[in-house]
Order: sequence, then C-alpha cells, then structure tokens
Amino acid sequence: MYHYDKKGPKRGVALYSYSAEFGLTKTLEDCFEDIHDMGAHGIEILANTHIENYPYPTDEWVEKWFRLCDKYEIEPVEYGNWIDSHVLAYRDLTTEEAVEMLTRDIRLAARLGFSCMRTKMPVINEALEPVLNWREIIKGALPVAEKFGIKMLPEIHTPTNLKSEMVKAFVDFIKETGTRNFGLNIDFSVFRTRFSEGEWVDPAFKANDPEDLIPLLPYIHCCHAKFINMSDDFEETTIPYPQIIKVLQDNGWNGYLLSEYEGADKYDDGYEVTQMLRKQHIMMKRLLGD
Amino acid sequence: MEKQVIQSVGFRNIVENGEVTGFQFKVRLPYYRGVFLSQLRTGTVTIDGEQITKEHVIWNINGQDFTAEEMKDDFKTHWSVLTPAVIKVKKPGGLAQGYHDLSYGFCFTSSYMPPIMQNEEALNPDTESMIFMPEFGHHVNSRRMIIV
Repeated sequence: MYHYDKKGPKRGVALYSYSAEFGLTKTLEDCFEDIHDMGAHGIEILANTHIENYPYPTDEWVEKWFRLCDKYEIEPVEYGNWIDSHVLAYRDLTTEEAVEMLTRDIRLAARLGFSCMRTKMPVINEALEPVLNWREIIKGALPVAEKFGIKMLPEIHTPTNLKSEMVKAFVDFIKETGTRNFGLNIDFSVFRTRFSEGEWVDPAFKANDPEDLIPLLPYIHCCHAKFINMSDDFEETTIPYPQIIKVLQDNGWNGYLLSEYEGADKYDDGYEVTQMLRKQHIMMKRLLGD
Repeated sequence: MEKQVIQSVGFRNIVENGEVTGFQFKVRLPYYRGVFLSQLRTGTVTIDGEQITKEHVIWNINGQDFTAEEMKDDFKTHWSVLTPAVIKVKKPGGLAQGYHDLSYGFCFTSSYMPPIMQNEEALNPDTESMIFMPEFGHHVNSRRMIIV
C-alpha cells in the first residue's frame, strides 16, 4: 500500500468536496486523479458514499481501491462514518446496536487501510450535543478500534468552540480512559473571522484563535482544511491560514489537512469544485513549503 | 445517471403474466451519502393529477422489492447514491402511450441534524422543508415523461 513519509502537516482532500459531481460527472477514479494533479497524498472518503456496496464491498472492489491508491500515490487517511442511532423513526438504537454499527465501520476502515475515522455523532439538540450514551457507544467500540489501530475522531466544527464544554468532555474522556483510539478532527471553520455582508452567523459562534489549538494538539489526528473563499492570488480571505499552519508547524504536529469545500454553490449548474480545491492547494503548498 | 432525481431511463409499464399491472420509474438519491431504508420517508406518487399513496408503491433496491411497511424497520439495507431505486406503482392497465406528468415525494433523516429539523412536520415527503438545502435535495420532484 502506498505510504507518504513526510513529517509535519501534509495535504489531502476530503471527497465530500465532490458531493455535487460524484456519480454524475466524476467517478471515484476522477477524484483520485484530481488529487494526484494537486500533488496531495491523503484522502478522506465518506463510507456511505464512496464504497461500492457499502457496508459490504466485494473483494474485487477492495482490490480496485488499493490499485487506485497505488496508481495515484494516495494514502487512505480518514474514513468518514456516522453513528446513525436515530436511523429508526420510532426509537433510538440501543447502545449495543450502535456499537455494532460502529465496529462494522471500524473493521471496514481497517480493511481499506485507513488509520482514522471521522466519527459523526448523533445529536440531541440545536447546540449539536451528542446523544447521552456517546461514552458507552465509544467505550463499546474501543477494543475493536485498538485491535485494528483505528482512531475515532468526532469533528469539531462551527459553531462549536475549541474551548467549549463539548470539546472538554471529549478530552476528559480520553484522559479518563487513557485511550489512544479516540481523538479530535478540527475543522478550520472554528477559526473563521470574516463573513460576507448580510451573511447569517450563528449567534453562538465565537472565532477561535489559532493558538487555541496548542493544548489540544496531542488529541488531534486530522484536520478539515475548511475553506470558504479563495482569492485569485491564492489566499483564503476568511480563515487565517498562515497563522494556523504556523501553530501546527511550530508545535511539531504531524498529520493531514484534508480540504473540505462545503459551499452550497457547489450544487450550481456547471460548478466544478476542483477550481477551488486547486487554488487552495496552491496556498497550502506555499505555506507548507512543499 | 441523470442529474434530475426522476430519471428518464427506466420509465415504462410493468407487465406481469402478460398483463399490465402498473408502471415503474427510477429515482436517484439527491444526498451526498447513501441511506439505510429506515431513514427514508416516502410519500405520494402523482401521475397526471391522480394520487397514488405509498401503500401502493414498492421500492426496489439492488433488485429487491420493499413495501413502505418493510422499509420502516430496515436499518441494514443500504441505498447507494450511485444506484437509482426502481419505484413500482400499482395501476391496473398501466399508462397510455405518450406524455405523462409525474411527481414523487420522498425525503430522509440524518442523525447529525438537530431534532427540530427531523420531526414529522419538517420531514414531510409531500411538502418542501422550510429552508431548501441543496445537499438534501427537494422532497418533491416532478418531470414530464414519455411512455412508448
């Protein structure tokens, strides 16, 4: 399996970015080739989207997956999964059923060569707080995650703050259990400082300073390199990328920055997300010096 | 696969034992990830103004038929974004040759969305949600179709 050895922050792409094009104008291989064009070496997939016959892919498909990774020099980095415990209309899944769903994903992530999972928690309110039994669900899956060397990472995304109770609860859980198989994925939306005129901003949102990352770095195993607006001279105009990258580099952080474009305009007719991704990768290449 | 949710390929009458028992069409999932069948909320088929309720509609996923009742409890069968579902509608005699106006409503739940956006009112397959979000698609899709 292809492995990229560089230390420090590395470039990758989250296939979520291609949501509006995947299956219509782009195949899985097109996405791999696009990432290869950018000279990026990491990939995040969404299990429920990009794996044919999910959750039970054939051995042939798994072989094809590794062929694509080798051909385009791409390392499987993060496997996007969901703990869909609200999947039934009339009741929540029991902890045991949720653990079964989660461990099925852990095994599949490992089979495809991933080391991290972006584990999306089911929520109970508008503050996006996770279900009350999230600790039991994660604990139930930890032995399998340990066996397969997988880290489960909830994504910390706007409007959540890095200094919030939610993040503290995740960190406390890691400290209490001593686990190395649970951590964080930080989405750079938490650092956003500029908004367009008239744009709705969640009143609960308060931008984090890039320095706020420092105490969390031991628990961060992947980041979502969120971007909103790339200027034609290859700068992100709403998120302080130079400062974020500097904090990561100065503190010896090692891992992937996975580009994730979330703008709704990607669903517009004729929109091609690669234009934005390529601009962002020019910026990141310059900042990372690669 | 066509960009429109209702696909033009796959629209035809259903013939069983030499008898036309209904018609079928295909829909693709207008979401960025696949869903388990119990996440689906299926609504009404409207064909040339005639409404056909979900009890008379079968979903076929990867070659297997499911009634609305069966889908309600099924959180193991997964519908992929790459494979349109075949919607089979009971209608003795089927549809006549020529144009037909077809509308169909369906939507789906997401465990990571706030509960207020997941209740029965917000996820009514036959009406649109309050705020349109492109990555969840429209609930009701319409298309003018041709039977040959």
